Amino acid sequence: MSMINIQDVTFSYTGKRLILKDINLTVEQGEWVAILGHNGSGKSTLAKLLVGLLEPKSGTIAIDGVLLTPDTLYEERKKIGIVFQNPDNQFVGVSVRDDIAFGMENLNVPREEMLEKIQFYAEKVGMSDLLEKEPSTLSGGQKQRVAIAGILAMQTKIMIFDEATSMLDPTSRNELMSYISTLHDEGITIIMITHDMEEALYADRLVVLKEGAIFEDAAKAILLRKPERFREARLDLPMALKIQSGLSKTDEKEKRVRDFLWEFVSAK
Amino acid sequence: MGIRFREVSYHYPQNHLQFHQAIEKISFQVSAKGEFIALVGHTGSGKSTLAQHMNALIFPTEGSVEIFGHSVTRKRNRKIRYNDLRKHVGLVFQFPEYQLFEETVEKDIIFGPLNYKVPLDEAKTIALKTLAQVGLDESYLNRNPFNLSGGEKKRVSIAGILALDPDILVLDEPTSGLDPEGKRVLMDLFQSIQFETDKTIVIITHDMDLVYQYTSRVLVMNQGKLVFDGTPEKLFRTAPLTEYQLSMPETIKVLQAINERLGLSIDIYQKTAEAAIQAIKEAVRQ
Repeated sequence: MSMINIQDVTFSYTGKRLILKDINLTVEQGEWVAILGHNGSGKSTLAKLLVGLLEPKSGTIAIDGVLLTPDTLYEERKKIGIVFQNPDNQFVGVSVRDDIAFGMENLNVPREEMLEKIQFYAEKVGMSDLLEKEPSTLSGGQKQRVAIAGILAMQTKIMIFDEATSMLDPTSRNELMSYISTLHDEGITIIMITHDMEEALYADRLVVLKEGAIFEDAAKAILLRKPERFREARLDLPMALKIQSGLSKTDEKEKRVRDFLWEFVSAK
Repeated sequence: MGIRFREVSYHYPQNHLQFHQAIEKISFQVSAKGEFIALVGHTGSGKSTLAQHMNALIFPTEGSVEIFGHSVTRKRNRKIRYNDLRKHVGLVFQFPEYQLFEETVEKDIIFGPLNYKVPLDEAKTIALKTLAQVGLDESYLNRNPFNLSGGEKKRVSIAGILALDPDILVLDEPTSGLDPEGKRVLMDLFQSIQFETDKTIVIITHDMDLVYQYTSRVLVMNQGKLVFDGTPEKLFRTAPLTEYQLSMPETIKVLQAINERLGLSIDIYQKTAEAAIQAIKEAVRQ
């Protein structure tokens, strides 16, 4: 049974222009999928559909074998954690502590366990000194870390990161990426929505959206061999591949560097 | 002229709900013309607090900030018209939503000039001009800013500040959330504004690639202190980046990896993929 099964999904806000058209996508348990696309390609809309914040105009979405309907939505949402780009959109509590607790409260986590988890995940994101602060007064990057702790504490089967690193400094970003790797190792299904190619290299599979439709869907190692497809989708190539594309295929010495660069992007 | 920080410290009041990093004894200056500066540092390092001093949105607890000849200190000086200082230094916030509030793009852009007593006709001409400067055509004038895409909103909020014709433009994370193309377009825009008008531009960013490619000076904040002020070259060659919680630009990372693995001695300090390719070609010939 697939963890996520999207069939023939279309979506539009106004009824006129389709934001998403004919989306078919199946994600198995434990996969790490990067969903890539230019601004306005529909990738964030897709994330909102997955967590039931929006409803498809047509088509179906099943999470862990259960179709999303108004009746099942409440239960199914507990299986998915989502971290948004702008954490201001996801704060509800009056303190950092409350905010990390919020998701767990909905899951009826016992109080003792909840307190332990708040401490554990706050430390994980480096916010344990600021538990009593009011979230609306933190810096952008700090807010994002609180939001991430709250979602991590819910220990959901699926984690969606919707451009979640775009406001983080390089160190926090590396820390988050390595933490996501740990989640992946534990069998959590990871959906990472991004337009950062360096970040996408961590995924096993790349899904490229262009103008609301799926433009490419393939294993990372396969798709990276088709650099023109990224350009056509208005995306950048990872730096190592940009450099590789300028080196000679025939010159023995340059070819050695080419081969290494290939290894470099595949190994992440 | 320009901005001069003299031993500036800022502490939030004890019972203040806000947690922002205080800043400690910061001294540096920014010229009124021709600089392209990146202000970098970990989240909560005090970058935004520092930036807000640049146009007297907040006042130093100790020390002084001289903004175009007027000394801003802890005590408000009745002789200084702070709004006039803000005309010299324009601040664009990180989230355009916090800055845009009118029902049309035109109204949003003319709001600033009208506030400074610019006649309506003239303000409208300015709006058209600054909209073009940020790469949007006049069809945007009557659109609702809230229906625009993230990148378009950013441009409109920048046009609103450009309409005041500040000497110095300070932008808080202008490229975050934009796709690679959007980033490039916006950075090229800043570069051309700077080239054409000789305004000084200060950007707050976490993107080391942009710092390296576009800017000529970097200020690094670390736990409330200004720990580095120099060229990007010097930063990446000599500064303790890990301690500052920064990283190398991608070009340098990739070239470093090649050197380590293949035992080459490529000059790793290259700003673009094209330059990196040339450096590799030269190194393998030797």
